Amino acid sequence: MKNSKWSQFTSFLFVLPYFVMFVCFLLIPIIYGIYISFHSWDLLSKDRPFVGLQNYIAIFDPGTHLNSVFFNGLFNTFKFVIFSVPLLVVIGLLLALLVTNLPKKVQGFFRTVYFIPYVVSVSVIAIVWLWLLDTNSGLINEYLSVLGLDPIPWLTRIPYAWISIVVATLWWTIGFNMILFINALNEVPEELYESASIDGASSWKKLIHITLPTIRPVMLFVFITSTIASFNVYGQPYLMTRGGPGNQTEVLLMSIVDEAFSQRQLGSASAMAILMALIMIAISVIQFRINRASEEGKFKRKNKKGVGVWAKRKNQSF
Amino acid sequence: MGKKKKSILLVSIAVVVAILFLMPLFWMLSTSFKTDTEALTGGLNWIPQNFTIENYTYTLLGEGLNVPVVRWMFNSIFAGLVGTMIIVSIDAMAAYGLARLDVPFKKYLFPLFVSTLMIPFVITFLPMYMQFSNLGLLNTYAALILPYTANAFGVFLLYQFFKTFPKELEEAAKLDGANKWQIFIRIVVPSAKPILWTLSIFSFMMIYNDFLWPLVATSSPEMRTIATGIAVMQQGSFVSSYGKLMALTSIATIPAVIVFIIGQRYFIKGVTQSGIK
Repeated sequence: MKNSKWSQFTSFLFVLPYFVMFVCFLLIPIIYGIYISFHSWDLLSKDRPFVGLQNYIAIFDPGTHLNSVFFNGLFNTFKFVIFSVPLLVVIGLLLALLVTNLPKKVQGFFRTVYFIPYVVSVSVIAIVWLWLLDTNSGLINEYLSVLGLDPIPWLTRIPYAWISIVVATLWWTIGFNMILFINALNEVPEELYESASIDGASSWKKLIHITLPTIRPVMLFVFITSTIASFNVYGQPYLMTRGGPGNQTEVLLMSIVDEAFSQRQLGSASAMAILMALIMIAISVIQFRINRASEEGKFKRKNKKGVGVWAKRKNQSF
Repeated sequence: MGKKKKSILLVSIAVVVAILFLMPLFWMLSTSFKTDTEALTGGLNWIPQNFTIENYTYTLLGEGLNVPVVRWMFNSIFAGLVGTMIIVSIDAMAAYGLARLDVPFKKYLFPLFVSTLMIPFVITFLPMYMQFSNLGLLNTYAALILPYTANAFGVFLLYQFFKTFPKELEEAAKLDGANKWQIFIRIVVPSAKPILWTLSIFSFMMIYNDFLWPLVATSSPEMRTIATGIAVMQQGSFVSSYGKLMALTSIATIPAVIVFIIGQRYFIKGVTQSGIK
């Protein structure tokens, strides 16, 4: 009989290859990144002295170059998140409602069409939109001139530059959210709609009182994942506006890449990257907490009332 | 409103939205068959006046062009395929081990792996650049492949599957004297095929389409991927040659769209499953 130590060893061999990759390309980089952020790390110099928290202090010290770069980037990233996330959630849901209400035969076709841009890389997306939005010969300004309107400098003026980046992003990623919503909509129990129909509820009331409350967890999930994805925005402004006009669309990830590879200051760039990661983790933790707190609140309310909200609602007229 | 009327209305809306979604891609294809001059004079020609495949022959055959576009395509597809094979193999083994076998410390290992799904990419790419630079491995396939294999998404996805996999099949094989490895290869892997396809398509797309990491990890023209190569061209010699740029983006798009259409069922399932947390 094999002893259990041997069995444990052979079982561990299953996990070992992934574990090695995990350590080399996730754990070590995280630790190494923290280490780098405590140094004045010039890419071209062999001399990389330990400076403690100085990189972090410089980021928070008003008047330093690092301070203005970091907060300009952070502020612009926040702008992009605030512009894009509500649209990503709402339009994703609207598309899913559209698709699920179509005749069954054509649902699959339209789902595929709306999803296709998602499979293309960000550089293709950005360059195609750069061309569509070209001031002098882009398709969109050509159509505007057919309507007798002046050409719009889509990529070189605020607010157009933001509108362009947000529209390209919506077109690219909305299909992903739509799929999540379609799935959630298909899982709403049919009985809920049936009993509402018996009560004579309109489609709109069914949407407000049945569909939206039922898919609420998925909405929050989409909201959280869209926020994280929007925080990581890089390719669209990098290729479409190059951060311009001025540095008004330069997002934080662009500032970090610039600090690391144009200024060659990997130490301060790492400190910026770690702060960005901490902000992102903090935001997702807060969102998860809010989510859980409101779920628990709902649960408690239900229990207090004993019978559950739905049974009560069912007897109300919609 | 009658049911029939309502569905005609909805289908019409769906068609209009579909046209809006496909328009950028059609315009890309249309421009790619125009001369640069025709592209730049503007106009609304959806069908090129002087239809030409010159943009494709120029970018692919590269006469007078000193960038290896075909090599970029090869790099992207090669890194995508090899990376996918590694990811699927090691993730399946690890997920099966953690879900079913007596792996020591598995109570801690699985949460450790999954918790890294919360960690943003921004925290690892600069130190990873230094690591590859220290080892002299920038501008190599190792740099274009290995970093993706640490992603815990696959382990997480497959773990859920193996947890619900019926024990009876494994036990029957055990009675026949099969060892863990034989059970894994002969029984577990074949029955996990659909979910392994889902992971494969996801992984291929992730590597093929990635932008920021290959942009910093490669600088030599031969080692660019297509996604980063076209960005370099857009900012360089093709800056306003929209005919050629659109030919390049069309070339870059084709493999991804083919993979998606072949594996659509699995891909959409994967999106769905990424939502179950």
